[in-house]
Amino acid sequence: MAVGTPPGAVAPQPQRAKVAGAGFSWAAALFLAPATFLLAVFLVFPAVYTVFLSFNRGRGGQFTEWVGFDNFLRLFTQDPNFLRLGFPPSGALWNNLLWLIVYTSLCVLFGLIIAVMATRVRYEALIKGIVFLPMAIAPAAIAIMWRFVYASDSNTGLLNALLGNVGAGPISLLGNPDTVNWAVIAVGIWGSVGFATVILSAAIKGISSEVLEAARMDGASETQIFWRVIVPMVSLPISVVAVTLVVNVIKLFDLIYVMTSGGPGTSSRVIAFSMYVDAFESGLYGYGAAIAIVMLALLIPIMAFNVKRFRTEAVQQ
Amino acid sequence: MRKFRFMAPAMVAVLVLAACGNGDDPGDGDGEVAEGDGAIVVTSLWGGTEQEAFEAVLAAFTEETGIEAEYEANRTDYETVLRTRIQGGNPPDVAIIPGIGNVRSLARDGSLIPMSELGIAQSDIEGNYAPGILDVGVVDDELYGIMVKLNSKSTIFYSPERFAEMGVEPATTWDELVQLTEDIKAAGSTPWAIGAGADSEWTLTDWFEVTYLKMHGTEAYDALFSPDGDWTDQTVVDTISKVLEIVNEDNVAGGINGALQTAFVDAVGLVFGSSPSAELYYGGGFVGGIATGEDVNPELQGQEGEAIDWFDFPTIDGNGAGLVTYGGDVMAALVADSDVAEFMEYLTTAEAGQVWAEGGTIISPIVEVDTSVYPTVLIQQEAEQVTSAEAVRFDGADLMPPEPSLGFLLQDAIRGEDLGALLEEFQTQMSNAWAQE
Repeated sequence: MAVGTPPGAVAPQPQRAKVAGAGFSWAAALFLAPATFLLAVFLVFPAVYTVFLSFNRGRGGQFTEWVGFDNFLRLFTQDPNFLRLGFPPSGALWNNLLWLIVYTSLCVLFGLIIAVMATRVRYEALIKGIVFLPMAIAPAAIAIMWRFVYASDSNTGLLNALLGNVGAGPISLLGNPDTVNWAVIAVGIWGSVGFATVILSAAIKGISSEVLEAARMDGASETQIFWRVIVPMVSLPISVVAVTLVVNVIKLFDLIYVMTSGGPGTSSRVIAFSMYVDAFESGLYGYGAAIAIVMLALLIPIMAFNVKRFRTEAVQQ
Repeated sequence: MRKFRFMAPAMVAVLVLAACGNGDDPGDGDGEVAEGDGAIVVTSLWGGTEQEAFEAVLAAFTEETGIEAEYEANRTDYETVLRTRIQGGNPPDVAIIPGIGNVRSLARDGSLIPMSELGIAQSDIEGNYAPGILDVGVVDDELYGIMVKLNSKSTIFYSPERFAEMGVEPATTWDELVQLTEDIKAAGSTPWAIGAGADSEWTLTDWFEVTYLKMHGTEAYDALFSPDGDWTDQTVVDTISKVLEIVNEDNVAGGINGALQTAFVDAVGLVFGSSPSAELYYGGGFVGGIATGEDVNPELQGQEGEAIDWFDFPTIDGNGAGLVTYGGDVMAALVADSDVAEFMEYLTTAEAGQVWAEGGTIISPIVEVDTSVYPTVLIQQEAEQVTSAEAVRFDGADLMPPEPSLGFLLQDAIRGEDLGALLEEFQTQMSNAWAQE
């Protein structure tokens, strides 16, 4: 779950009169060349290759046999591990949707609540430090730690040891297909809420105190102030955080790979994990490429939204 | 939109590069094999004692031919690493291919060199092996993989000392096995340890295969694990129900949930570790080596027959005597040169089989290897069980395409999910997978 610059963010461009016939500058091209080369080799080439591979059988990663949309059709209609429409629906795509809704909203919500409540106390920096600490741990390490915490054996598993102390029987959260997704989402939230807290805390501090005082004088309760004053005023940072979290959800892999290997069975798979298994373990490169294209397709609207949001904001400023 | 003007030529350049590709031609198949450079690299997923035993074979090969042989272990993500190396144009010279589905997939990818191209004809070496063993490595009428080691999968491990304390004896029929399970519970212990967690679900496929073979015989077995297999057949349902008579909440250490979170080596440890909590472990003959190895309990070394022993998987309703399931690994060549050809030839000799057998981790499929070279009583008995069997059948789950996974199906089955629905979906996915191969 690497969290970096919100994707698609573009610094607001100052308005400048267009210079006609600025032409092609060799110096500019030379300066741009190294970056362009790296982007072309590591970003553009693989992306284009994958698009073409997804329409192919892809034996050994080469273009061996054109199959058209067959990979995509099979992915959505004949692969219950990817998407099974039923009641309740299941499959990797559905798991990502679950993550999207639960993980994103709870991270933002908890981040907001902690940020708001922390401003009221003196040891605010300590609280934010503690909440942010999991961000310093590598995601794979988080996964291993929590796999031990969830272990069904009460000698090893912290959770079951605590439950044992109050007399409840050992439960196997990761071994049960009904609970495994929620258990891993909880770990994801634990790891990322610090990010949301810190950004939203900075945003909340940017709200002028006059607005809050005016609201209080008008008789608003704290809950009303929270939902009707604070949240709307930090809506841009919230959307920044949300977009970053959504992108994390779509490319989520490490937690699943280390904690559950997609298990039990295939119940905690996510689409990035499915892509890995189908392309690299089973050698169905075309099929895996199709999954990668689905991921790309899911990300495009989010990128577009983000870019549009920042352009709007730039114009407003 | 000025900047986008460069996108078009850039994309064209990218596509041209892609089309050139990095075509990898591992062999021309035209008579003479290329000259080797005096060194080969062999990869597998073995570690620990299995690795040591194999490295002894490599050392013997080097002594005999002067060709350096280096072993590289990839214990995790073996298939991924192998496929990535192949795709990157840097394959190992020789590799163990786990699972026959992978042999078919890689052979049809063109990544494996047929033995005939290395100058090894199947008919020449057929006599070194028991009937049917070499056929496992044949894809589209060409021999690609040579079986290099095997283990019986019809062995149930136990501790004779603890059995004596509890006053019970090994079982020879299924009903006796069920009774044995009850007796162990009455004596206050947990009967079975099962390791069916993530990456260990194949242990359940072993249960299914041996039970199916014993109940329904060799013809039904061969049909089931082929493209014509019908997984919705009543024989499959009956077999799973039979397995569930023993593999259930009351008989397994940790219950079903516990079993589904236990790895296979840890489950062996539950029976043979320093503080055992279960009495019976059904698994392959390699369990003996693992139980007495550094991963579980090295103190058991030398106590084979007393503190650790195995009995045959029982007959079921009078059927299945002399039928043995076995698992094995095949080795394939990925590069065509004279060193690799010599190595593959060496592996088919009795000498190589004997050196490997002395390592005590495997049974050699080469018939000339004398069973007395096996270092422990457990393995000698295992070799005798396999060689004197009426019929042997290769691990079915390894014969099929890797997805959909029979292990996952069985995990759902032991969890108590609706068998009919599971099997129907499995059949649909499996026939699709066979068609895709």
